[in-house]
Amino acid sequence: MRRFILLFLLLCGGAQLSFVHCQLSMDMDEVQVTAPRRLRDTGLQQTVLDTAILHQNVALSMSDILTQHSTLFIKSYGRATESTAEFRGTSPSHTQVMWNGMKINSPMLGTVDFSTIPSYFVDQANLLHGASSLTLTGGGLGGAVDLHTQPLFNQGYALQYIQGIGSFKTYDQFLRFTYGNERWSTSTRVAYSTSDNDFKYTNYDKIGHPKERNRSGYFDDVHVMQDVYYNAPRNNRVGTMLWYSHSLRGLPFLSVDYKDNTDFRNEHGQDALRAVLSWDKTFDRWNMGVRTGYAWHNIAYDYYTTRETVNTDITHSRTRSQQVYVQAEADWMPRANWLLTADATVYYNHVRSSDKSPFHIGDNYNLGRPEYNLSLSAKYRPVRNLSLSAIVREECYRRDFVPVIPALFVEYMIHRPWNLVVKASVARNYRYPSMDDLYYKPGGNPDLKPEKGITYDGGVEFSIQHKRYMLKGNLSAFDSHISDWILWTPNAKGYWQPSNLKKVHNYGVEMMASAEVKMKHQWRLSLTGNYAFTPSINKSDQLEDNDASYGKQLVYVPRHSTNLSGCLMWRTWSLRYQWTHYSERFTTTSNEVSYITGRLKPYFMNDIALEKTFRWRRVHASLKGVVNNLFNSEYVTVLSRPMAGRNFEIFLELKPQWK
Amino acid sequence: MLLSALVLTAACSNSDPGIPTEDFEGTGKGVFVLCEGNFNAGNSTLSYYNPVSKEVRNGVFQRANGGAKLGDTGQSIQLHGGLAYVAVENSGIIWALDTASFKVRGQLTTGQTEHMINPRYIHFLSDEKAYVTDLYSPYITVFNPRTMAYRGSISTRQEASFGYNSTEQMVQWGKRVFTNCWSYSNKILVIDTERDEVCDSIVLSSWQPKSMAVDARGKLWVITDGGYEMDAESFGDNIPHLYRIDAETLTVEMDQALDTDEGNVVVAMNPAGTVLYLINNDVYRMDITASHVPVRPFIEAPRNANGRRHYLYAIGVNPHNGDLYVADAVDYRQSGVVYRYDEDGTLLDQFRVGITPNCFAFK
Repeated sequence: MRRFILLFLLLCGGAQLSFVHCQLSMDMDEVQVTAPRRLRDTGLQQTVLDTAILHQNVALSMSDILTQHSTLFIKSYGRATESTAEFRGTSPSHTQVMWNGMKINSPMLGTVDFSTIPSYFVDQANLLHGASSLTLTGGGLGGAVDLHTQPLFNQGYALQYIQGIGSFKTYDQFLRFTYGNERWSTSTRVAYSTSDNDFKYTNYDKIGHPKERNRSGYFDDVHVMQDVYYNAPRNNRVGTMLWYSHSLRGLPFLSVDYKDNTDFRNEHGQDALRAVLSWDKTFDRWNMGVRTGYAWHNIAYDYYTTRETVNTDITHSRTRSQQVYVQAEADWMPRANWLLTADATVYYNHVRSSDKSPFHIGDNYNLGRPEYNLSLSAKYRPVRNLSLSAIVREECYRRDFVPVIPALFVEYMIHRPWNLVVKASVARNYRYPSMDDLYYKPGGNPDLKPEKGITYDGGVEFSIQHKRYMLKGNLSAFDSHISDWILWTPNAKGYWQPSNLKKVHNYGVEMMASAEVKMKHQWRLSLTGNYAFTPSINKSDQLEDNDASYGKQLVYVPRHSTNLSGCLMWRTWSLRYQWTHYSERFTTTSNEVSYITGRLKPYFMNDIALEKTFRWRRVHASLKGVVNNLFNSEYVTVLSRPMAGRNFEIFLELKPQWK
Repeated sequence: MLLSALVLTAACSNSDPGIPTEDFEGTGKGVFVLCEGNFNAGNSTLSYYNPVSKEVRNGVFQRANGGAKLGDTGQSIQLHGGLAYVAVENSGIIWALDTASFKVRGQLTTGQTEHMINPRYIHFLSDEKAYVTDLYSPYITVFNPRTMAYRGSISTRQEASFGYNSTEQMVQWGKRVFTNCWSYSNKILVIDTERDEVCDSIVLSSWQPKSMAVDARGKLWVITDGGYEMDAESFGDNIPHLYRIDAETLTVEMDQALDTDEGNVVVAMNPAGTVLYLINNDVYRMDITASHVPVRPFIEAPRNANGRRHYLYAIGVNPHNGDLYVADAVDYRQSGVVYRYDEDGTLLDQFRVGITPNCFAFK
């Protein structure tokens, strides 16, 4: 019977979801250890992405990783284009994103462009679904993404260089130097990616279906990151993390644009600096930490003609934002089955935004805004298999307090050998308006109220470890109601205005599973999958009698999303396969399919990579070949934005050995 | 499982590799409804309505041309010489379509001209000469509508207003063509059609003239959207004005402030040129001899249960029978609705079209 159940779970996981580690042979001897359940994680619906996933390909950004290894929906139209993440059919601004403790959502938009975060610059990513995000921050009506760099103590010197060369004159370079002894850990990373990105495609949107090139899709991105950690005496740890990036990206022309791209320039430039300084101290029964951070962004958007006789700006936009952040937190374990935590955070954001367009000229706004967050939580394990958790948050922006945010979590261990746990949570959550929502001219609405959400979660997870195989899975169902959803809608004058318009009912199922099997003769197979069923239904009052959007799926949100990864390893070889699917998406609020632009057909993507590693005495090396869009699918993920067909990239990785 | 998934999806593409071309016979005195779609989505569409059978066909450009899209932000449609000319602003193209089969007969793109950037409206002077206004270019493009060949361009001779030089709708009285400068401007330009040059201008007291019509007596009717009331650097007061201007003397004879508008502001003339229709939240009708806009609307915009008006976005008058067509953009992200009224304001029909219907053309 037990075998039958195991087989069922394996098939279920393999069929519907999967998350996979394509470890290289040099790592194959590592032993997978199932960590004991932490009181801190009581009731959490969490997906953990480790370096095996994050560092699989230097050309990938976090948007690619989340597309391939999570249930999040990423809205993107190609490499190096704006990519936003949505949990459970919510909006991108409902995804809160932290980097080493500091929130990095744009204070203007409330969103994060995940295409600007190279996955090689993240060592661990925790995805907190729904109510679980409240352990980290408020406002994550969909969830939160917690990104971390990690120290490498006692690792000695290490140098890593990766060179990638790919289709469309794409070059990816990555250099990392690390040093770690008992006291110190330092890591320096540099990445530089550049491409013409002028792939050929058949333009079905034009008469005669001409072969055209992606125009103005170039990019030129540089990232530098330095982190230093010091283990001071008496259980003190000090850390500093610094990340600078410079990006210049062309904005690709639409497939229905008949202008000559040599006559026009349409590009987006961004410089960003983020820094965090941390101090953590550990005692027998309590821990405390203080963090402070600073973020600076300088963003330019230009669209202009270069024709001599009509040289004119079409759009010219400049935004400079600064953020200062201070956080203090403390954990106290008065007894082994109690954990009490307190967290106070202050942000101060200042934004100066100006633009020139047919709809506005001059400052959009030039304002500062403080934001205060206070959180208290108690976690309690009354009996061995039962854990309870309660969180209370209070948040304030400007002088406006959002109502108290409460959350309750419970979990029960049903079968310890399988780590079979059932868990449930209920939470209320609020997201206060972004600065653009309130102040942007034209359109900003200072009377906006915070968005309000209430979420119920329930689920089961298991983890089975055996000498030859490992099996993990997680199934959760959720039901969420969001009201006063802030929606930007166009008006007759051509610009957009936000208002607390929408009520949305999100519900559905998320599943994750992974399986890993060690076979004879050093063969090893791992499978990972994710599946999400996310109806996201508009329940707003009708705008007017002709409004047919009530009861319809939100625009561009798929009801089904699935990804599946498989990795087969043998000695120094590894073969990775990636399959991604989104169901059809609607482009109108009324979900009409009567004309061809009313929906995007289901999307399927297949990628494959083959890697061979070499372990010479003075250097370890690997050679990897990647084929993206293996079957050369012709597809779009956003209307009139063609994507690249089959394309290739090869990577050479070198790691000198110092010993 | 993985293998079966691969087999299932190996050949799956989600692009639309050419839907079958449909053969249309758009006979009769039909009505074209241009729907601008959403900016940067490329989902502008064209509908065709038969007022006799009350049949509407949506997306006819795409269906008649093998799945090719009309483009991004269709701005205006005009009929001339058996062809329909559609200016698709953000695609930088003017299409010439057969009015019966809806098939493409010609095109003029930005790259074929010297100065065109975002074409807005077309005005025909003859079978071989037409003007095109532009949202960004300080030139009016001249082309041959018979051959779709570029002929030249007319400098607006205007200094940029806040960095912009826009020209918008055009109407003709005698040998003069009038064009309103909408974006960041308060001017009407006068073009001498014999010399193809701007010869005069009219300065208005209100910002952003949006729509124009000319009546049977040679009076120019202009409605502004009032610009924006925002901060010291901004302009306008968000109050629309209606002007009556003598096309001969260029004298402003009437200037009436209107209600601040929640929808669009548009004017249109009845076939005889004796009655003006305008959208200012509701639909108003006034005799051209009247001294002011009536207090009561001719047709009230429909309201929902909480009193919110439908956002009326466009108006057109059928030159053959005076039927009035009024477009409701709903939320600008779903198919809009067109209401058809007779001259007395009786609702005759209503039908769904594409996203944000903004312009009508009558065969």
